[in-house]
Amino acid sequence: MKSPTSTLRLVFDLATIAIGGALTAGLVHIVSILIVPLYASNDAFARLSALGPINATIALPQASADSRLIPFGDPAVAVAFCRYDLRNGPLRVTAPAARYEYSSLSFHTNRGGIFYALTDRAAAQGQFDALVATDEQLRAIASRESEDEPSQDLRIVSPTYEGFVMMRAFSEAPSLYPLAQARTRGLKCQPEAPQS
Amino acid sequence: MDALTKALVAGAIGLAAGLWSSESVLRVTSGLDARTIGAWTASVDAGVQEADPYTRASIERSGEIPLALGEGLQLVAHTDDSGAALSPRCVYRVGSRAPAARYWTLGLVDRVGFPVDNAAKRAVFRSSELLRDEKGGFVITVSADARAGNWLPIGGSQRFYLVLRLYDSPFSATAAAIDKDALPRIVRESCR
Repeated sequence: MKSPTSTLRLVFDLATIAIGGALTAGLVHIVSILIVPLYASNDAFARLSALGPINATIALPQASADSRLIPFGDPAVAVAFCRYDLRNGPLRVTAPAARYEYSSLSFHTNRGGIFYALTDRAAAQGQFDALVATDEQLRAIASRESEDEPSQDLRIVSPTYEGFVMMRAFSEAPSLYPLAQARTRGLKCQPEAPQS
Repeated sequence: MDALTKALVAGAIGLAAGLWSSESVLRVTSGLDARTIGAWTASVDAGVQEADPYTRASIERSGEIPLALGEGLQLVAHTDDSGAALSPRCVYRVGSRAPAARYWTLGLVDRVGFPVDNAAKRAVFRSSELLRDEKGGFVITVSADARAGNWLPIGGSQRFYLVLRLYDSPFSATAAAIDKDALPRIVRESCR
């Protein structure tokens, strides 16, 4: 028969384990949630990276039951993207913006954040035109400019070297999808040659 | 029981419980910022850089590319207005209004976010191709069997979600400001 002391001892041991377990669980939970974005090897950027080289415009297939790359895509919206790496210099992004149907550009980091977006309503003269650069590169560009002729460029600061630009174009009817897709193929991403 | 044994047991329990809780949270959550309006849920912070850790982790894991704040807003419904999970054996009427937006679409997806194959080859309804009544309202019938008018077919026999996407909407930055009455209602009509 167990003595009262040894029963008490067992209860004390179990309580210690329960408290230790709960504390460890809390810590593991917090750490695992925080490191998912750092180690997710199958996030959108990784999935897009598998499709082609940087600076190339790549059209995503129309969202359907058969193309299971990126979830929650809209079958009514044509999508193309290009990946970039600003270590090669700032990136010039241009794309056609039709006047009556919705189209948009969004700028994503390689870690799942979106740092800028604009729709065709903000595009001048039926054309998207933007310069993506790091903070440092933008300051270098600004220092070369004269104050008398301020640039009309739309300049976007990328918080990371790597990321991707995504163009979406809405189709008003299923038969218009190929036209929307053709517009997204007009997305161009080119490293801007450094000016001397 | 010596201290090392206790520490190992506690550590093992903690590791298992911690990972399990993260897994289950990411499986069901759309983030700390999720706003629920009627049957619809919007993740407002999905489209910004400073999204909370739960939102970010869940986006990374699913691989989805959310709409940016300036582009639009996506709302997902897992249930009908009564709170019952959407079932392929039922007929639903979705309508009759949608929030202000330049365009919107209503689509049907499986539980990981992909369209479901169906004989009619229709996965989405656009605001620009709807049949509307005299007052500008609409009804989209979501059912497995063909219906007259706006019919969004349910393919397969799995549970499904409905996705409402608003493009160029004044609400994209402030989902909280969407009035429940401005969103389409999801009413179950009948079930097999």
